[in-house]
Amino acid sequence: MSSLNALLHKELRENIRNFKMYWIPIVFVIFGILEPISNHFLPEIMKSVGNLPEGADLVWPEFRGEDIFVSLMGQYQLIGILVIILAFMGSISGERKTGTATLLYVRPMSFSQYFLSKWIVVNAIVLASMWLGFFAAWYYIQILFNSVAAGEVFAFLGTYSLWLVFAVTVVLAFSACMSTGGAAGLSILVLLVFQVIDGILGTYWTVSPWKLSTYASNVFGASDGQSAYWMSVGLTAILIIVLVFFGMYMAKKNAAKTLV
Amino acid sequence: MTNLLQVHDLEKNYGSHKAVDSITFELAEGTSTALIGPNGAGKTTTLSMLAGLVTPTNGSILFRGKPKPDIRASIGYLPQYPKFFPWLTALEFTEMAAVLSGVEKRKALAEAKKTLEFVGLGDAMKKRAGTFSGGMKQRLGLAQAIVHEPELLLLDEPVSALDPVGRRQVMNLLKELQQKTTILYSTHILNDAEEMTDQLLFLRKGVLVENGSLDSIREKYANPRILIDFESVIEAERFTALSPWAVRLEKKQVSIDAGKDEVSTSEVVALLHTESLHIRKVELQTASLEEIFMKVAVEE
Repeated sequence: MSSLNALLHKELRENIRNFKMYWIPIVFVIFGILEPISNHFLPEIMKSVGNLPEGADLVWPEFRGEDIFVSLMGQYQLIGILVIILAFMGSISGERKTGTATLLYVRPMSFSQYFLSKWIVVNAIVLASMWLGFFAAWYYIQILFNSVAAGEVFAFLGTYSLWLVFAVTVVLAFSACMSTGGAAGLSILVLLVFQVIDGILGTYWTVSPWKLSTYASNVFGASDGQSAYWMSVGLTAILIIVLVFFGMYMAKKNAAKTLV
Repeated sequence: MTNLLQVHDLEKNYGSHKAVDSITFELAEGTSTALIGPNGAGKTTTLSMLAGLVTPTNGSILFRGKPKPDIRASIGYLPQYPKFFPWLTALEFTEMAAVLSGVEKRKALAEAKKTLEFVGLGDAMKKRAGTFSGGMKQRLGLAQAIVHEPELLLLDEPVSALDPVGRRQVMNLLKELQQKTTILYSTHILNDAEEMTDQLLFLRKGVLVENGSLDSIREKYANPRILIDFESVIEAERFTALSPWAVRLEKKQVSIDAGKDEVSTSEVVALLHTESLHIRKVELQTASLEEIFMKVAVEE
């Protein structure tokens, strides 16, 4: 237990001192603020700079507050995921490559705790950033749009949190498994490309982690397909557990690859 | 003396390349052993296997007579180029190292401070490792290896990368540690090996070619010669003609192979005296450690 504490402490210090603890929340919050504001003022901005022909009368869709939550999630699905991949793809592979891992691996620490310490801290940073981003958005949605029921917002954020935990686990497991470059490539494939594939071919199935974001947005509207939602949640949770064990195993297996 | 570590037929293959080829040796408790050999002889691979970083292809490692595959709790390991998290201070890192090696959390900080003082980083313990010079890093490396007072200290080229001043300082630290713990260290610098070694292990291309005390290896490869410098070439030639032993003449200098015929210096001096030859110097020469190294490590 005390060695897990020591490792957690190390991860916290690392992420504070390399500023990831600050810039990742800032990125998420900036998007969280910009999304409602730009959507609110878009018609006026277009009117003043849009060079619209005389007499043209564009009808802007009436956004509800709920729609802003969903479109912000759309931003996080690309930019947020990219930030997670780029910031944490080297979490384990980088330590092997530079050789800083060597002085950890020669100690009687368990690789499960080693992997877990990273998993806990990275998830904490990512989830805190995401929640802060949505709370910032919520504040402006209340002012500029309509008030959204808190229960729906938390159900939405809870569902989306599970997807981000899945994303973090994928990145860390690949980082334990291969080089930083390989981890980045495969993470992009699994987290971004599969999303598109699931979007195109996904009508044939209903249970998939890549559908969690869709299910999250469904919270605001008609809640059909409850069983598919819960099965997707269950499947994602199982995949996360499997990936965590896979990451622990690979971290141990690749220990000899650390630079001596 | 009891055996702390017994290594039997240890082997590591990378594909078809045998990095370490079935080596067998023992480390007695409280002794210092030098692992010597040219670059690429398998010194680092051997130490990595003992440190538990690399899994051996074959062979057994017994610690205190017991087959204990994971001896990481009982060892301190210093790699050739220790790499530190640049954003951790020396104290933070050493404390973490102590806890991860099993030192109680509440004692770890005090132990870390004490160890950093010992290695001479007392003033720099609050500085981040990223700002350290090579010598300071080596000393921090030593600190993290000894903070949990391990029974066996594995050091990979502990002084090779240091300047003469740093080397002297680290050597002095190692000599102090020698009193307390068992040390196995690799080096290709023979003076260091000469300075603090009970046992020498010579590696060549992964094979343990020589294993013994410094004295026994010296004796085996000493190849003693008696060198005589004469006043003139004529006298040297006269001695060569008179000598009952096989000699080699080189201008004013004559050398006698003392090992083969067991020639003693006094016999030679007696002959020089009776013939009243004028000499400058008579000397019994034995092979330096470097010559032995070249002989053992390079020759087939």
